[in-house]
Amino acid sequence: MTALLTIAIPKGRLETETLELFAAAGFRLDSQRDPRQLACFDEAGRTRFIFVKPSDVPVYVEHGIADCGVVGRDVLFESEADLLQPLSLKIGSCRIAVAAPANLPENGHTMLRVATKYPRIASRFFGERGQPVEIIELSGSVELAPVLGLADCIVDLVETGRTLRENGLSVTEVIAESSAQLVVNRASYQLKATVIAELISALKGVLDEVARASRP
Amino acid sequence: MSEPLSKIPSGFRYYSANEARARRFVETTAMSIFAGWSYEEIVTPTVDYYSLFEQGMGETEAQRSFRLVDADGRLLAFRPDVTTSIARAAETLFAKRVRPLRLCYSATVFHQQSQSNADWRRELTQIGCELLGKNSTAADMEILAIATELLRGLQLRGSFVITLSDAEILGGIVENLGLNEKARDELRRLVDIRALSELERFLNAYASADEAAAFANLIQLSGKSEIFARARRVITNSRSRAALDRLESLWRIIESLGWSANFEIDLGDVSRLDYYTGLTFKIYVGGLGVRLGSGGRYDNLTAKFGRSEPAVGFVVELDALAELLAKEEQSNLPAQPENVLLASDGNAGAVFREATELRASNRQVRIDGEAE
Repeated sequence: MTALLTIAIPKGRLETETLELFAAAGFRLDSQRDPRQLACFDEAGRTRFIFVKPSDVPVYVEHGIADCGVVGRDVLFESEADLLQPLSLKIGSCRIAVAAPANLPENGHTMLRVATKYPRIASRFFGERGQPVEIIELSGSVELAPVLGLADCIVDLVETGRTLRENGLSVTEVIAESSAQLVVNRASYQLKATVIAELISALKGVLDEVARASRP
Repeated sequence: MSEPLSKIPSGFRYYSANEARARRFVETTAMSIFAGWSYEEIVTPTVDYYSLFEQGMGETEAQRSFRLVDADGRLLAFRPDVTTSIARAAETLFAKRVRPLRLCYSATVFHQQSQSNADWRRELTQIGCELLGKNSTAADMEILAIATELLRGLQLRGSFVITLSDAEILGGIVENLGLNEKARDELRRLVDIRALSELERFLNAYASADEAAAFANLIQLSGKSEIFARARRVITNSRSRAALDRLESLWRIIESLGWSANFEIDLGDVSRLDYYTGLTFKIYVGGLGVRLGSGGRYDNLTAKFGRSEPAVGFVVELDALAELLAKEEQSNLPAQPENVLLASDGNAGAVFREATELRASNRQVRIDGEAE
């Protein structure tokens, strides 16, 4: 079976909401799907979904292996991938923020040690304000770094802020709001123009419907 | 610890066997088509002054080049593109030649930093042609016709699409809205990534909500001739209008040739806008996740080298084309000729006499055997 369209879906945090959104737009996954399967077709057999790590979504789409994908803006900023971003999906809202222990002195840091999973975002942010930083790249549990003395502060994704509070940290600055974004490969956008336009307009229809319903 | 000699720097590679044959085939096909349209080959210096590329391509693009310092302390660069060097030669070395100048090339260019993650190559081969000294729809059409013949001549399995726009359309809008440089860059970025709702929000500061929405819709999708009527309803400034008229007359020629299936109008194509001054186009081929080539009119470039004259050209990435052909194992790649095996273990004189005779009639020979 050859799919008209291949869509990269991020595993984990955004996965369920993304699939619900696509289902509402008419791109419904086979309900018999084995959850361990990494690639499968929608019911109509027109669309192939591939399930990959969130940070790999931009990679698959930029190389044109997937025509489009869903990715958090945090991951997108960090990847610096050259992709089209036609639609903000209004799911998975959170913030990319600087968080520090309450007792961190405001000024006097000639050099700030920043622990983060987002080295490019962090270095761009502090670079713009001329603050010299040492970026310490971690791959998880970033909140621990200030607690254990590895870093002065962190740059991380904040949803509720609970994990931060539990570790004695609070948001000192919001770098960007992040939500899921539909990204499209530049070549696919032209070569599969009709199907991609249909997908965008179907998704936009669902989002507009949700926005109308939530209005008092 | 020293690096093992087996390691190759990232972004560079060897090509052999069917890949090398595919590359040669693409180059030969292209150069013969260029010659067929009376384009003369030009070979530009591999290394040139960095300032040349900085002037020609702009700082951001030029900074991606490999740079080195000359004996006198001046900064040199491995050429990151060919067009700049051609434009300089046209206004200096070839200043007195009869116009129009028709020049073509097949050359390697070098990028120390690649433009996107998917574009891993740091040594790229570009083939292209430039038509200098002619500013007309016919000149633009000539370049598109050559590109079309090349794409057809290679008999790719996937279909190709050439998307057309005109840099002056956005230029007119920016002027009309009175945008400063920062706002212009932001507008261009939002159009370029087709971020429609953000674009609408951005435009709401300058135009009515209806106008903003209409414009966002306009750049969202490419299309055929219907785009012109839709665009004229949204875009009213005279500079953009003139560009739309120009693009429409080009489109009429394309339609009259019966080529419109392979062409699209894409008003959302706004990349490298300070370089192009009129027509811009991009080439995409099915099966390839990246752009195959691009081109357009750049009437301001030559002025940087002392004389101003109109110019239009295009470039395609040989590497991507050859990779696609080698992968598809195209039947139209020239077949390996049958060779004649000659045993060299006997009388060497006799063997080479026979080999020389066979070569004189252009047969392929292979000397084989123990006595070598």
